[in-house]
Amino acid sequence: MIKGLYSAVSAMVMNATRQQVLSHNISNVQTPGFKQILTTATGFMQDQAAYSNGNLQASPIEYVGNMGLGTQIGQEFVDYGQGAMQNTGNPLDFALQGNGFFTVKTPDGNRYTRDGRFLRDADNTLVTVDGFQVLDDGGQPIELPDGEVSVSLEGILSVNGTEVATLGIGIFDDPEAELQHTEGNLFTGPAASTGEGVTQVVQGYLESSNANVSQLMTQLVEVGRSYEAAQKLVQNQDELLGRTIASLGRIG
Amino acid sequence: MPSYLFHTLNISRQDILSHMVDLDVTSSNLANVNTAGYKATRSNFQEMLNEQLKEGTLMSSTQMLTMQGTLKTSSSALDWAIQGEGYFSLTLPDGTIGYTRDGRFALDADRNLVNANGYPLVWDGEIAEGMTNINITANGTITAVDAEGATVEAGTVQLTRFPNPSGLTDNGSNILLESDVSGAALAGDPGSENFGTISGYKIENSNVDLGQELTRLIALQRNLTMSLKAFQQTDTMISEAINLRKA
Repeated sequence: MIKGLYSAVSAMVMNATRQQVLSHNISNVQTPGFKQILTTATGFMQDQAAYSNGNLQASPIEYVGNMGLGTQIGQEFVDYGQGAMQNTGNPLDFALQGNGFFTVKTPDGNRYTRDGRFLRDADNTLVTVDGFQVLDDGGQPIELPDGEVSVSLEGILSVNGTEVATLGIGIFDDPEAELQHTEGNLFTGPAASTGEGVTQVVQGYLESSNANVSQLMTQLVEVGRSYEAAQKLVQNQDELLGRTIASLGRIG
Repeated sequence: MPSYLFHTLNISRQDILSHMVDLDVTSSNLANVNTAGYKATRSNFQEMLNEQLKEGTLMSSTQMLTMQGTLKTSSSALDWAIQGEGYFSLTLPDGTIGYTRDGRFALDADRNLVNANGYPLVWDGEIAEGMTNINITANGTITAVDAEGATVEAGTVQLTRFPNPSGLTDNGSNILLESDVSGAALAGDPGSENFGTISGYKIENSNVDLGQELTRLIALQRNLTMSLKAFQQTDTMISEAINLRKA
């Protein structure tokens, strides 16, 4: 019975974690380039279920099968699916179509991102809205001469029609395995591309967050009810335990 | 990975507050849909994640979108619009230079070219007594008809550009100030390389797209509702945990 109590509590803990991830996804529905985080639930350890008819001398404890001891949160995944294209008309907003990533330089090293909100900084360098330098295909920051910036689908940046640099696009065969999501909207990964593929750069567009609103709300309901059900189970077990103690302890 | 429901509550709270700021930004854009030379501002949301600790979203910055507004014809020769990059320079009352795309000027009693606030335009030349029919050419030359009826050149207007115009500081009244983020001001003749041209009898409309802003407003409202639902649910979960022990 005590085992059952802990099993029910494990479901509450698991759903509290899912609620946190859901709230995180919900709050990033408006973040361009955001990739939603998916959670999994796995079974916690199993134990042997045993039965005895009460007379241990006559018949020993009988093994009757396995018993789950609850649930726990499993590995988290990032959903690398393409987000919708949103027209902004801003010439320094870039969206990626395909499975590539922009390469940016942060104080902690190079990172990959799908967030194409770029700016020309006071020193004419191409930077992200967070102030990180955007890198070219040679891993160098991009200096923009004065003039109108345009970008081709292949990622070649031109100013007033003159080619300036090619955006460094990282393409990974298996982003789930090769990239880690450790900072906001940034991914850590191998120093160079490990895959091939066609990734197009679209100017004047941003890739919307790929958090799926209807899916999120459905999951919210699911999490809320699962948590509620687990809480009721804890209460039931508690009640049962209380009654057992009270009635077994009564003599006469 | 630890998961505290109070932390989750905080994710939603932060999210709701960000939406409130975004509402202010969108309202300001909507209010300025008819303001000459006005540039729309957008809110930049960014994911907050620190070593696997999910912290939701942060409104990391607001960004002025400097796209060209459409030009509309006016009946005043002193309504000037810039087509392309650049700003008019104004001398503010404290002596600093302010920049604007709103080129609706007028001649004041001292024969200075001033904007709607009465701030004088920075230009090279003067409108002498008796000059009428003031006009501007695309490359910034101001002409006028003098007392004798001859067309004369009264002076020239230069435009100012910035490496990062979206980083200019908003000084109110559609006037912007240079900042560390915008980079240093570069002056040049209208029509020269990378500078826009000036058109007389024209007003640059606000670049706020009414349809886009209203769509944003609807999306904002929906997202706010969603964040509130998440907040309420986390609250219910906390309450259920507190009431785990019956009676």
